[in-house]
Amino acid sequence: MFNAEKFIETTIPKLKDEIKGKALIAFSGGVDSTVCAALVNRAIGKQLVAVHVDTGYMRKDESKNVIKLMEKIGLNYHFVDASKEFYSALKGVEDPEKKRKIIGEKFIRIFEKVADQENVEYLVQGTIAPDWIESGGQLRDTIKSHHNVGGLPEVMKLKLVEPLRDLYKDEVRKVARVLKLQVSERQPFPGPGLAIRIIGEATPERTEIVREACDIVEMEIESAVEKGLMEMPWQYFAVLLPVKSVGVHGDRRAYGYVIAVRAVHSIDAMTCAFSKIPNEIIDNISTKITNKMKDKVNRVVYDVTNKPPSTVEWE
Amino acid sequence: MVKIFVVDNGGQWTHREWRTLRDLEVDTKIIANTTSYDDLVKEDIDGLVLSGGAPRIGLADELGNTAEYLEKADFPILGICAGHHYMGRFFGGIVKPSKTPEFGKIELRILKQDPLFEGVPEKSIVWESHNDEVSKVPKDFEILANSENCKIQAMKHKNKPFYGIQFHPEVEHTEFGEQIFKNFVKLCKK
Repeated sequence: MFNAEKFIETTIPKLKDEIKGKALIAFSGGVDSTVCAALVNRAIGKQLVAVHVDTGYMRKDESKNVIKLMEKIGLNYHFVDASKEFYSALKGVEDPEKKRKIIGEKFIRIFEKVADQENVEYLVQGTIAPDWIESGGQLRDTIKSHHNVGGLPEVMKLKLVEPLRDLYKDEVRKVARVLKLQVSERQPFPGPGLAIRIIGEATPERTEIVREACDIVEMEIESAVEKGLMEMPWQYFAVLLPVKSVGVHGDRRAYGYVIAVRAVHSIDAMTCAFSKIPNEIIDNISTKITNKMKDKVNRVVYDVTNKPPSTVEWE
Repeated sequence: MVKIFVVDNGGQWTHREWRTLRDLEVDTKIIANTTSYDDLVKEDIDGLVLSGGAPRIGLADELGNTAEYLEKADFPILGICAGHHYMGRFFGGIVKPSKTPEFGKIELRILKQDPLFEGVPEKSIVWESHNDEVSKVPKDFEILANSENCKIQAMKHKNKPFYGIQFHPEVEHTEFGEQIFKNFVKLCKK
């Protein structure tokens, strides 16, 4: 069985050996990067610089909360608001793999810029097993390019350090609990963010819609879990579909986007079963989304596919 | 400690096989399928798992050095998905694209009790992900399990400790997956 205490004990001296100088950590505020930051912080202390990038594709208030978290852990950090840059880089881009690659490369270029300013040689990433497995290479097919692996540019100045490479999320959570990190139970959020929850072009307008829809899904499901009406899913979110459908609003024809709600059960993301959410919760989600964004969305569907054949995120 | 290596054929779940074995306190490692048989013998292993993978065995040729392992090994071998297909074809069976490929949740039916399925009920939920299947079992093999759309979900060599299974015992959603691995580890111990 995986032993988190032992993992921490053996990883810290390894990191001390591996990192000779200053290191930069790509800090999203999720479980993986927070655990990574905490481990590297213990190994090299103030030699570690955390960088959090607001890509514009973050969830509601996410970057604000991440900054608070970095302060709380006592990290030496940089915050980069690159939302305009990301929006313009993704202008007109519809292919999901292209989106992922563009985002991956943008991240690295931003990290390189900070690295130059700070004289950093190493890049620490919270890559975990499914990231490199699904990104493919050699014998393995590419299912999707995770931004921290398959999205990496071929020429890169920084040396990569990935202490969690062989771990799955449930194991990372165990490490987080031992380290007493608050984020240990947070649901996964993909590196490319909301950009891959918008099928088709990820415009700022569509981003606002999906950001609001994701927030409603999270609030409704979390409150249902609190009331004991359902089990906490592994991951739960909204996806904006690039199709429009006809509706009726106050005796007038409406024509708006479709939102798909997705919630799955899993331990490690390698297989998933869609969550059996009680109908009244689905009903609340649907009504809130279509009422709050009545000019934009007039239909909500629930995704009932397992992995395989599908994946958790749509892109 | 029992020593069982996982031969990587490029599967999405190769690393899960390694993890399941490690969680069962097995001395395990993922190795390339181009590893020579002699190198395996030097490691003094007790068993081998052939992972699944993207290669379409029914359509493609070789799977690294897997032929050599199947020809020479006297220790147990468990072929999963593509590993199972290769085993089927190597011993003279037929591998073809499935009429109805299976993905996700499927009901497995055990037809013949075997140490590999000790503690697994006659019907259970397993997770699948395949485009091809062994459509005709090799002469020296017997069928141990099936599903509605796939006649050969599990097969066993009559004289050697070789098993082939179509479904994936290594993933979390396969109900008795860990039990099947436990049984395989036990077979390797002997």
